[in-house]
Amino acid sequence: MTLSVSIVDPRVDAEPSGWADFRRRANLHPVWDYPLLRAEAWTARNPPVLAVLRDRTRVVAALSVMVCRTWREQRFAPPPRERTRRLRPRWAEVYLPLLSGCPAAVFHESLDVAARRDGLRLFERELARHLGPGLLGVVYRAMTDDLVAVLDGPGRISRRIDPTAVLRNRWTRFADWQDTLSPALRRRMAEIAADDTVEVSTATGRTDLDAHELAVLLNAHRARQDQRAWQEGQRSRLAGLHLDTRSPVSAAYLDLLVRRPDVTTRVYRDRAGRLLALNTMLDNPVSPALGHWADLPVGAGGRPGLYLDCYAHCVRQVIERGRPELTAGRTLLDSKAALGFGRRELSTVAVPRPVMGR
Amino acid sequence: MWTSGVNALWRAAYRRAVRSAFATVPLYRERWALGGRTDPVVVPGRTGTHGGAITAEEAVRKVVDLVPLAGGAASPDPARGLGHVLPLARPPRPGTLVVVVDPAIPRPPTDLPNTLRGCVLDPASLTGGTRPAALDEVVTALRRNGNVTAVGPDEAIAALVAALPEDLAHRVDRLPHRALDRLDGGPFGLIHDPVLGYLGGIGHCGRWHLDWPRVYARRTTGGLALTLLRQSSPRLVDILVAGGVRGEVAPCPRHGTPVVLT
Repeated sequence: MTLSVSIVDPRVDAEPSGWADFRRRANLHPVWDYPLLRAEAWTARNPPVLAVLRDRTRVVAALSVMVCRTWREQRFAPPPRERTRRLRPRWAEVYLPLLSGCPAAVFHESLDVAARRDGLRLFERELARHLGPGLLGVVYRAMTDDLVAVLDGPGRISRRIDPTAVLRNRWTRFADWQDTLSPALRRRMAEIAADDTVEVSTATGRTDLDAHELAVLLNAHRARQDQRAWQEGQRSRLAGLHLDTRSPVSAAYLDLLVRRPDVTTRVYRDRAGRLLALNTMLDNPVSPALGHWADLPVGAGGRPGLYLDCYAHCVRQVIERGRPELTAGRTLLDSKAALGFGRRELSTVAVPRPVMGR
Repeated sequence: MWTSGVNALWRAAYRRAVRSAFATVPLYRERWALGGRTDPVVVPGRTGTHGGAITAEEAVRKVVDLVPLAGGAASPDPARGLGHVLPLARPPRPGTLVVVVDPAIPRPPTDLPNTLRGCVLDPASLTGGTRPAALDEVVTALRRNGNVTAVGPDEAIAALVAALPEDLAHRVDRLPHRALDRLDGGPFGLIHDPVLGYLGGIGHCGRWHLDWPRVYARRTTGGLALTLLRQSSPRLVDILVAGGVRGEVAPCPRHGTPVVLT
């Protein structure tokens, strides 16, 4: 096996050859789509670059890597190659900020553990060369246990973070899943489904939505959610600092996302047409993901419990399509547990610059 | 003045505004990065539609995305800039009461100089049963030989004047609003837009001067695009007002500063 790594900046570099084929072979989620990565990178404070690992010419692994300059500065990243900034301190985060429960390092199943370990070390050396002497280290966030096993090593720091919710599909009919819920939950779901003051529309490849409207609701929801997670003592905090390297979700990104045929978008509106809630579900043969969920707070005219209807709809799709599982993010785990979701443990591994590639 | 560097300074201020908007304002970031813009181009090879300008209607609809990442006000001030264009269009004497009669301007201007007093008067209240207190103040000021300047659309100023006693009505100085696509021959007037506020006025020379230290204008394929150079939030850069007005910006032959020709 002859491994090599190339790192591309989706903002300015062309899509790597064989990338679409790898996405299909490795069953990657739509967030790995190159035009989506480009839109995400241009509208991010800490934009992602894409590292592609090849065995000779064939793509066998990939990592989405946020190049972080700041967690405080309220500016988008400077345009690439505007001028040399290689000495400026930076760190890298292997992370999918818009699908935080899934690892941002993916391998084709043909790679064994030793090859994965070698590939990751090779990636770290190439990343250090690509970003220059200002690079402080790399943080692998939201890694599953099998990845932690190949990432671990001397001088590397690993810690548990909030797990992600996963529903294993062990049903053949939607009604069977409903039978596992508590009577109160079933009653509540029936009430929501019967509420004729809420209009629901669901489709893939949507061109009828105003992405700006979706982005406003989603970013407001994320801000509230972040605040609540912080107050409840989220496990990803470090030394009492808000180390949030993410950026608001842009309307341009959402516009591209909801138009995709493998993304189901469900929106809830009141009779006046006001957007009450939205959900995107990212389909995938192996592990569909409940992508975005956002709703209006009840105090602002929102309806309580719409998320139950959204989850029921996603579970129905998973069961009817025979998908093995559904992942649903890292928040409100107790609420999700009542719907049958279990947990998948996640860890963060920090690799300081001196041990990168070793 | 224009030829001795004002144009260069004006343009440099605009380029700073564009750079800052591209670095900090979500709407411009996604619009110019993914679509493009001209003059200056921020992503090589991408020139966008209408040079990257957006319509005023879109700016209003997406105003939350015109707030920089660091935060700021999320609603435009239609009275913005009045204090700066008044001396240009009709220099008020100290102590003048400036009455803004425009139903679209609910709050008084915040940038009047300390020597002036400003208030707003909804023209609809002039025909209602209750006499507005501001109208009494206007009458009192006129009876004391004070100066009153009425600013607003023609019909609103006419309603104010009609509500005044006949012997005082002629003493009100009038400064009518003009949209960019309705500029006339004056002799008095202010360029006003409900989103960007006051943009300029007729100078002594009879030409429509821009408030150039604060407002930039450039030609695009969609019409004249205007930029507020000093407003931090919401950031209004390259806005096509009045549906996109064909016109040009030229130096005033008398003053050397930019005037609008439509």
